[in-house]
Amino acid sequence: MHPEVARKQPSLFARLARRISFVLGIGAALLVTAAWYYAETAANKAYDRLLVGAALQMAESLSVEDGILTARLPTSAFELLGLADRDRIFYRVIDTHGQTLTGYDDLKTPTPLERAQDVLNVEEGFYKEEPVRIAHATRVLADPAVSGRAYVIVAQTNEARLALTRELTLRATILVFVMSLLAFAGAMLAIRYALQPVERLGTEVRSRDPHDLTPVSVDVPRELDPFVGSINHFMGRLNERVDLLQRFIADAAHQIRTPLTALTAQIDLLGAGRLDKAGRQHFDRVKERTSELSRLTNQLLSHAMVIHRADSVQLEPVSLVDVARRAYRAAIPITVDPDIVISFEAPDERPIILGDAVSLREAIVNVIDNALRHGTDQRLEVRVRASAMQGFVEVEDDGPGIPPESWARATQRFATSKSHEGSSGLGFAIAQEVAKAHGGTLSFNARGRKGFTVVLTVPLYKGEVK
Amino acid sequence: MRILLVEDTLDVGEAIARRFEATGHAVDWETNGRNASEIIDFTEYALVILDVMLPGMDGFEILKRIRKSGNIVPVLVLTARSEIDDRVGALDLGADDYLVKPFDFRELEARARVLMRRHTGGEATNLIKCGDIAVDRASRSVHVGKREVQLKRRELTLLEVLVARPGRVFSKDELLDQIFGFDEAANANAIELYIGRLRKKLEGARANIVTVRGLGYQLVPGDAP
Amino acid sequence: MIRLFLVLILAGLTTVQAFAAEDNKTEFSAPQSETGKLTIYSTTDLPAMKPLIEDFQQTTPNVSIVYIEYLTNELNALAAEACRKHQPLGDLLLSSSVDQLLKLANDGCATEHNSPETLRVAEWANWRDEVFGFTYEPAVFVYNSNKVPPAEVPRTHVELADLLRERLDYYRGRVGTYDIRLSGIGYLLAFNDARQTTTVFGRLLESMARASAVARCCTGEILEEVARGNLYIGYNMLGSYAYDAAQRHPDLRIVVPRDYTLVLSRGALIPKGAARADLGAAFLDYLLSERGQSVARTNAFYFTESGELPPGVDGPQNLKESGVAQPIRIGPALLAVQDRAQRQRFIEDWAQSMIELNSPAWMRE
Repeated sequence: MHPEVARKQPSLFARLARRISFVLGIGAALLVTAAWYYAETAANKAYDRLLVGAALQMAESLSVEDGILTARLPTSAFELLGLADRDRIFYRVIDTHGQTLTGYDDLKTPTPLERAQDVLNVEEGFYKEEPVRIAHATRVLADPAVSGRAYVIVAQTNEARLALTRELTLRATILVFVMSLLAFAGAMLAIRYALQPVERLGTEVRSRDPHDLTPVSVDVPRELDPFVGSINHFMGRLNERVDLLQRFIADAAHQIRTPLTALTAQIDLLGAGRLDKAGRQHFDRVKERTSELSRLTNQLLSHAMVIHRADSVQLEPVSLVDVARRAYRAAIPITVDPDIVISFEAPDERPIILGDAVSLREAIVNVIDNALRHGTDQRLEVRVRASAMQGFVEVEDDGPGIPPESWARATQRFATSKSHEGSSGLGFAIAQEVAKAHGGTLSFNARGRKGFTVVLTVPLYKGEVK
Repeated sequence: MRILLVEDTLDVGEAIARRFEATGHAVDWETNGRNASEIIDFTEYALVILDVMLPGMDGFEILKRIRKSGNIVPVLVLTARSEIDDRVGALDLGADDYLVKPFDFRELEARARVLMRRHTGGEATNLIKCGDIAVDRASRSVHVGKREVQLKRRELTLLEVLVARPGRVFSKDELLDQIFGFDEAANANAIELYIGRLRKKLEGARANIVTVRGLGYQLVPGDAP
Repeated sequence: MIRLFLVLILAGLTTVQAFAAEDNKTEFSAPQSETGKLTIYSTTDLPAMKPLIEDFQQTTPNVSIVYIEYLTNELNALAAEACRKHQPLGDLLLSSSVDQLLKLANDGCATEHNSPETLRVAEWANWRDEVFGFTYEPAVFVYNSNKVPPAEVPRTHVELADLLRERLDYYRGRVGTYDIRLSGIGYLLAFNDARQTTTVFGRLLESMARASAVARCCTGEILEEVARGNLYIGYNMLGSYAYDAAQRHPDLRIVVPRDYTLVLSRGALIPKGAARADLGAAFLDYLLSERGQSVARTNAFYFTESGELPPGVDGPQNLKESGVAQPIRIGPALLAVQDRAQRQRFIEDWAQSMIELNSPAWMRE
């Protein structure tokens, strides 16, 4: 598998959360923009009415007195504009000759007055370097002395409009924000709820006994059916394979061992008594090869077995001493050379480890068997020890041992060295495999004064023993 | 002694039967599991040699029945099975010993002998001690301190004699009689050989086999000189 | 001839200005080593401001203060000119003609100022945080108790109008008021009188005109004349000055009208771009502060918005509670007051009504 593929992907929840918050964020931004636009329009509309009203009032106040156009600007017009209490007010009254009657001489409408017809048309503009809204009103005079059009221009700064716009937008923003939050929270809850079956499925799959290959039975939504189906299909196939392999090994064991046993039986029956010297030589070789074949067969099957069990058998708390003692009993033949001093030593306490007794026994048997065949000269000691965290099974013999440079090779399959001619080499491989499956190690202690030691180390089990 | 052999492979069964008959045992050979199970119910045997894979009823099933009925006959299981998916082994089901096929016939014979002897020797725990040497006559095991030392049958018998009466001097002839009986021909050199082996195997024990020149041997508790 | 006349007038104006610049300037040197100089242009009489300035220097002893006094219209003209030329006039403008200050602020000649003190200012006395009212001064009647019998003391505007009509001969030429052509404050008060009750004001104006009311430039002059007995009644006098004069002249009595009382708040404004706007702001904050207000109450302006009337003043117990007070709101409506066409028209009308005006000789030219 490529490392890229194995890189950790963010969780579904995080992805959905990110995308939803992104969409909500954009939505909120659009809404706030829209709110600003509408607020501005509304504020302008509201204050423009005041502006137009004031302009109309001022235009209404124009009168002709004694043949002269007179402006008596009503205070109320200014009070009307004063409703925008912070805004500056500029105005100009223009008489029929285009002369300024009163007010700010340089105030102009953005569109020339002659062309502007609609009195309600309020425009944007600048006056005294300030942005202003400008309104105007026209008064048509038909007095014999004064006739024509008089104009009133009224301008107002934008502070109140801006303040109102800001306030409206702020309120809208708060609403949008609260709504977004609610939507987000709701979405998160919904996602969480929707993802619950996935989580449940995950928990179910995770908490399963790794050796349990029965179909997963969790109620999942329809969308997850293919997924669960695949898992179950895969499990089914895996189960079949495991069964098949198991059956194969079992069959192989029986089918090979039985004739092999028959063969040794026949050799045993044959006996060597009636043979001449050459015949006896051949007989001995057949016997030797047969026993070698037996041993190799046993080791191969044993190897296959421990590998298979490592994947399929649940570890249980077992007493390391009991396992080692059984292995010791099984591994030491009664017919062993009586001159060899063989002993087994165990501590008073009972170190408990989490393990598969069958595999462990197989591992220890192989280590002892190896020592017996290739190491031991006069002495073989099997010891069980325990430290605070680990249990050790040590097999020490007084043979030449394995030189350190060959240690790495010794645990490989079928590694033979000159000093171990005839060894299948599988013994250490089996022990190593088992040690690994138990989170332990197989190691060697160089030949010291007493002898060469093979050490199987496994972590102690600290939990409750049933 | 009477032995029940349950084995369906003819070659194997024949070889086993012949071997035990050669050493003076009577062997009943069954090839069908069900038949074997029935025979055990009303025949007393000194040993049952039981193959696991059998037609009719498998060896484990037979073993379970034997133990269920309270029969304590020693059972030696022969198995060609891989323990690939076994949760319980033959020993857990009440077998006294087991051998994985293919096995060495001498080993089978030796183990069978041990089982039969243990059976006739009685079950009571019978622990005798001298110094830190402990001999359990029931399980026929020897401990030197915490160390369990593997002893051969005759070595064990010799040790039993010495340990039973520490300090007493046993003559070679006395020991010869004890160990080999009267029917077996052996000479005094054999005793010297066994004494030598025993000394080696008991090395480091707080009891020593002392040679009393001209008289014989005695076991004396205390640290090695 | 006409040309010579104009030259004379111009010369006269120049001298007046020079006179103002030289003589109405008072410097209060810093009690401690000077780190800054605050220039105040004001229309308020120095005696009223002096206690405040001196108290301010107690709190800020490193500042020397130059106090320059003008008439309201003069000050307005100077300030407008200064603003147009972007040469700020002083660091703080104080004027009783708030309409003029408001016009200045509307034209962008003011600096915004925010502080904890400005938050204390009543809403009607603050426009854009640029123009602040810092006093509370009712427009009152004054009379000389030797000349006006107690029974005749007018307590409302109508009573005053009726009195002048009924005792026309007695009061002819004995009633004084502002010449609104000269006094910005007079114009402001008159305009607001007119807005209050057009009919009453019309009647009063007519009565005063018929009684040959005397128009003067300044409060001080009228108060002086009433105190001396030359005038019997003064109309629309600023309460603070009147009360100050009454303390010096026992014959001078004050009436706060019971129908309505215009209340003026003297305005303060920091000119845009003022060199020491910070000092201007500091002094403004002082004026608005509890301490400044307290000094003003006891030594300068006597009347307060919330408190009772000072002792010896004839009027409602509490101006605000009685509902008689009509504060002149500092707001855009004052722009209508400041409109030049409006002003011209109003003053023309006023002058026409007071056709019989008994004005000083030099003004009649």
